[in-house]
Amino acid sequence: MQVQDLYLTNPLIKKKWQAFLTDCGITDFSENEVAKIDETIGIYDGETLVATGSIAGQVIKYVAVCQKGVTNGSRFNTILTELINRLMQRGIYHIFVFTKPKYVTSFEHVGFEKLAGTTKGVLLESGRPNINDYLSDIPHVVSSYDKKIAAIVMNANPFTLGHRYLIEKAAKENDSVYVFVVSQDASLFTTTERVKLVSAGVADLSNVTIVNGGDYMVSYTTFPAYFMQSADDVIAYQTTLDARLFKEKIAPELNITRRYLGSEPLSHTTNIYNQTLQRELTDNIAVSVVPRKESSTGQVISATTVRQAIATNQVKLIANMLPKTTMDFIKENMAVLQDRIKKGQKIHGN
Amino acid sequence: MEINKTAIAGTLESSDVQIMISKGTSGIQFEVESDVEKQFGDQIRQTVTDVLRQYDVKNADVKIVDKGALDMVIKARTIAAVQRALDIVDQPKWEVL
Repeated sequence: MQVQDLYLTNPLIKKKWQAFLTDCGITDFSENEVAKIDETIGIYDGETLVATGSIAGQVIKYVAVCQKGVTNGSRFNTILTELINRLMQRGIYHIFVFTKPKYVTSFEHVGFEKLAGTTKGVLLESGRPNINDYLSDIPHVVSSYDKKIAAIVMNANPFTLGHRYLIEKAAKENDSVYVFVVSQDASLFTTTERVKLVSAGVADLSNVTIVNGGDYMVSYTTFPAYFMQSADDVIAYQTTLDARLFKEKIAPELNITRRYLGSEPLSHTTNIYNQTLQRELTDNIAVSVVPRKESSTGQVISATTVRQAIATNQVKLIANMLPKTTMDFIKENMAVLQDRIKKGQKIHGN
Repeated sequence: MEINKTAIAGTLESSDVQIMISKGTSGIQFEVESDVEKQFGDQIRQTVTDVLRQYDVKNADVKIVDKGALDMVIKARTIAAVQRALDIVDQPKWEVL
């Protein structure tokens, strides 16, 4: 069984590949998905394609295998071996795969572990650092079982008085609060900047721990719809996965019993996300939706408004939305931020 | 010797084994996926531990996906993985081989 590279830039190969996958029940060939593929490999039997798989970043995708005439699973294992080896060569040691529920055992058989699933799809991972490494790196609250521990997930692009208000409220109502900052570098403010501004903005609250959201909290891998336009059913599926991952893997380990959300009048995606969280989490985790804070002039505080003001050079208008730490940072780095926007960094959405 | 880099060797084909070694902190920790774990799990772990000891590796996280490999295959794959993890692929340790 010879594994070959499939170059999808060749329309003929792409057509064959797509036809084979369609036969196997994979039908999503939207530009969003296909454009992300880094490498595709395949096995031919004579002229016919009988197995294929692809790599996109740290995700294994578009795996399909025809079992006819060979030992069950042998082609699948060959494809997976090659994909994993290629990922390792790229220096990627932590791998994800999304698959249909019926293929979960096949992946578990080659060392993947299930993270979360819905009836539509299941997320599995393999390699290191895995979710256990991630969780054990987070500082744990001492004798946490009788304490009230809450979590907030935020992108904080950038940190506003609205974020501050939400964290302050959670800190007051709980013994300890984890603030997970989205780790994907896809926003106007870089991850380092966002984490720094959150830390600076809540430095006076001693029971708040700032944690990087890693690959598990609203990451580009598990929840790409957060970062780009997507259809509602895609958002619904991804938010459900994100919510279940939080509920089943993250919350129990850290003894989190509450999650705080800011009400979402402005962003469509985040609004669906909030609804999903309320639906999915409620049996184990109390969800508190905190109404958006309004600025002293009665405007809803929103990081989107802040980013627009940076783009149009009107930061004076938003001074009452930002803590001093964020304001100082923006003033100091105005030129850099505006330059990023000019270079095509999107400021709408999240 | 300290493992600082994750490395992998072997395949998922029948009769082979895939061994991944990464940095560990508390001794040699195993994660074994094998159809014959019940019968040969301990023996697989022992073989890998022996090789790691010969390289003087005290801390490592080892993930093994076994597809029915024989002892010498496990040994060979472990040697390859360790050499890669320690970045000494060009300096084979003859006394281990």
